[in-house]
Amino acid sequence: MTVDTARHGLLWHLRIALLETRFQFLSSLRLPAFAVPTLLFPLFFYFFFAVLFQAGGPSLTGPTYMLATYGVFGVLAPSIFGFGVGLAQERDTGALLLKRTTPMPTAAYLFARVGTAAIFGAVVVLLLFLLAGFAAGVELHRGQWFSLAGVVLAAALPFSAVGLAIGAWAKQQAAVAVVNLVFIAMSVLSGLWFPISMLPGFLQDFANVFPAYHLGQLALRTIDLDLGRPLWFHLALLAGQTAVCLAVAAAGFRRFSGR
Amino acid sequence: MTGMAGDERSPWRRDPWIAAVAVAVFAGVLMVLPVPEPADPPGGPLPETNFAVVNVTVFDGEEFRPHRDVRVEDGRIRAVGQRLRLPDDLPRVDGRGHTLLPGLIDAHTHTYGMVLNDSLRFGVTTVFDQFTQPSLAAMKRPARESLARTDEADLFSAGNLATAPGGHGTQFGVPVETLTSPGEAPAFVAARKEEGADWIKIVWEDGGTFGADIPTLDRETIAAVIEAAHAEELLAVIHVSTLEHGLAALDMGIDGLVHVWGDEVISEADAARFAEAGVFVIPTLSVRVAAAGESMGPELLEATEPEHVSPMQRQTLAQTFPRPVGSSEAAVESVRRLHAAGVRILAGTDAPNPGTGFGISMHGEMRLLERAGLSAAEALAAATGVAADAFGIEDRGRLARGRIADLLLVAGDLENDLSRSTAIAGVWKDGFPVEAAWVASYPKAPDLYLISDFMDGVEASFGLDWQETADSLRGGSSHATLSARDGALHVEGALVPGFVFLWAGAIWSPGEERLQPVDFTGRQVVRFRVRGDGGDYAVQLFGAAPQSTAPGSVPFTAPPEWTEVEIPLERFESANPGIIAGLSFVATGDPREFAFELDDVEIR
Repeated sequence: MTVDTARHGLLWHLRIALLETRFQFLSSLRLPAFAVPTLLFPLFFYFFFAVLFQAGGPSLTGPTYMLATYGVFGVLAPSIFGFGVGLAQERDTGALLLKRTTPMPTAAYLFARVGTAAIFGAVVVLLLFLLAGFAAGVELHRGQWFSLAGVVLAAALPFSAVGLAIGAWAKQQAAVAVVNLVFIAMSVLSGLWFPISMLPGFLQDFANVFPAYHLGQLALRTIDLDLGRPLWFHLALLAGQTAVCLAVAAAGFRRFSGR
Repeated sequence: MTGMAGDERSPWRRDPWIAAVAVAVFAGVLMVLPVPEPADPPGGPLPETNFAVVNVTVFDGEEFRPHRDVRVEDGRIRAVGQRLRLPDDLPRVDGRGHTLLPGLIDAHTHTYGMVLNDSLRFGVTTVFDQFTQPSLAAMKRPARESLARTDEADLFSAGNLATAPGGHGTQFGVPVETLTSPGEAPAFVAARKEEGADWIKIVWEDGGTFGADIPTLDRETIAAVIEAAHAEELLAVIHVSTLEHGLAALDMGIDGLVHVWGDEVISEADAARFAEAGVFVIPTLSVRVAAAGESMGPELLEATEPEHVSPMQRQTLAQTFPRPVGSSEAAVESVRRLHAAGVRILAGTDAPNPGTGFGISMHGEMRLLERAGLSAAEALAAATGVAADAFGIEDRGRLARGRIADLLLVAGDLENDLSRSTAIAGVWKDGFPVEAAWVASYPKAPDLYLISDFMDGVEASFGLDWQETADSLRGGSSHATLSARDGALHVEGALVPGFVFLWAGAIWSPGEERLQPVDFTGRQVVRFRVRGDGGDYAVQLFGAAPQSTAPGSVPFTAPPEWTEVEIPLERFESANPGIIAGLSFVATGDPREFAFELDDVEIR
């Protein structure tokens, strides 16, 4: 089916990947049902809970905390919807099959999906940071602004793996429902909408199964507001969860190819 | 190469620029986002009244809370939280790498001399005094209601203790009102309350553990005092030296013990009884280990900047008990079992007993409590929140909104290394920074070597006149008379049985008041001429804490012919021989009549 890409150089691969990213991004942008909620949802939440509700309060803990969690939330949406729904759609409409007949390597396709999520994430981060810094009064050390942005953007990778696993298995219509369910449940139960410490103890323990929880803690860690678990704990579980998602996705693709 | 990149209109040409601009915009925004106002690292002058300590690990009186900001306003804590919204012009202390604690509470001291300043410099902002002169306590108490700048810790005190005539507590020369029967208890307690006592301290001490036989209150009277205290809504705490007395006091309804016993280890069942009754214990392990000959003094002095330690702290830390008493292992093990059973443990030092020092020994006491199985947080709570709660003292012992801004800033992470508590980076009292270094508040001695040549009577060239001194001051029967004749001081008298140690002779105070410490730094020797009956005498040098500690003593004989005697100041056991509050020449030892002449007394 696929062309032997091994004889092409690295630059060729990169060009293909970047081009695919470009088109992927443009096509996502032209899909207002995807782009608008993805961009506005976290900003809207942050504006209400961190700016309006906390205006003039004695502490910046809330606005600062929510900056990290809504930042992660802002990357979660494009990653999980882009892969979960987008992939299922392309597969069921045959678009994916068409793409696989072209010489484009699979890696470029995946790169483009993650890249698109990261670009959307970057836009959300930028607007969220501006809102936090200039409307909510959040102050971070320069290094913290950068490291928080870095962690939040890196979240696109593990979240995409979750989306990939869903998209590889669910049918187009079912994918929207499944992704929405995972999206909302994981956001709430991982403490992205409100602090994890507000959840009952057993749910706080249960949160460990979600990549969003660990990414939230890693983001909060850059601004000293995490629960104090060691770094390796979050990184190890995150790596494990991502590997499981990729394995699940790979199994789904094999099933698809075998049909 | 493929043809894709060759097309002029290909996005491949444009996109790198768009991407570069996007990345630049992204980084640019991150560069202009607001950053916190800069904070000053501790080390320079500390801010006062209105300021914040930012990004510090807080110990709040119960547990450690990292990355907190603490805002102080007008002597009180206005806010504690993560990332407080602070005014831009508010002075900030950078708390990174530091731990901020509520000012410590020493739950067992005795107020003398410089106690309140010595305590404060070491972060002990409140002391619970377990016996001092009621008039002194009354004089110091009002300061605790004020948030004005001060160089003294706040005082809460039992004042006059409840003991038997001639009992423990009466041996210090301070007049003590005593009682003997249960019927006197209500009036006794009412009088203490009238004096302003914050609680009632009872002494149950027959001297058995150190081989003495001391009069003490009987059980019925102790029970009656406890009952009377509770009727007046005062706490009753008790000094016991044995486990048996501790358990008996528990049955009488005591609220707290001001020592742990050192005679035997409590059983787990009995420890559980203490916990069930809600009785708290102030083990005073500092004095227990010192009594056993294992004072924390050297370890603490090692860990402390020399200029932060006052001569009095140095002197009392260096002192030792005449002979070892009790077992420190037994005491520590009892505390371990009490703590494991859930008994509230409070940190207290019993300073200024030998081997302890005001303020500084609280840091040793916390280390000893850790040795008894308390975690760092529990040992610190014993010195803050638990102590305040046990004595019902509000406003202190916790680092929380609305509390008094009594704060101790320590360089280091106390959760992992409690011994860092002596690395004091700042102390605030009522929101004002406290000078860490001990500042000599003693008057300097005039530039005169000669104290008296006795040509003009019993006068001295400075300070007070020569005066008689004898154990009669402490209730003994010895006596002496002085007279200046032929240019010499004639001292005659008799040592008469009636007190534990017999002495009689002549004393001189260099200050304007009797036994007021004066700074003689730089002088080397005491020199004098003497002749007499050939008997044994002693020169005694009173140091920085003349009321609470025995003077340093060097023996000499008074031969029939005039003899010059020279004694280096360093031979007197005193941590700082430069500070002298009094000089006496006395007959000591067995009962006898004595007579000697003294002349040309010099300190040079």
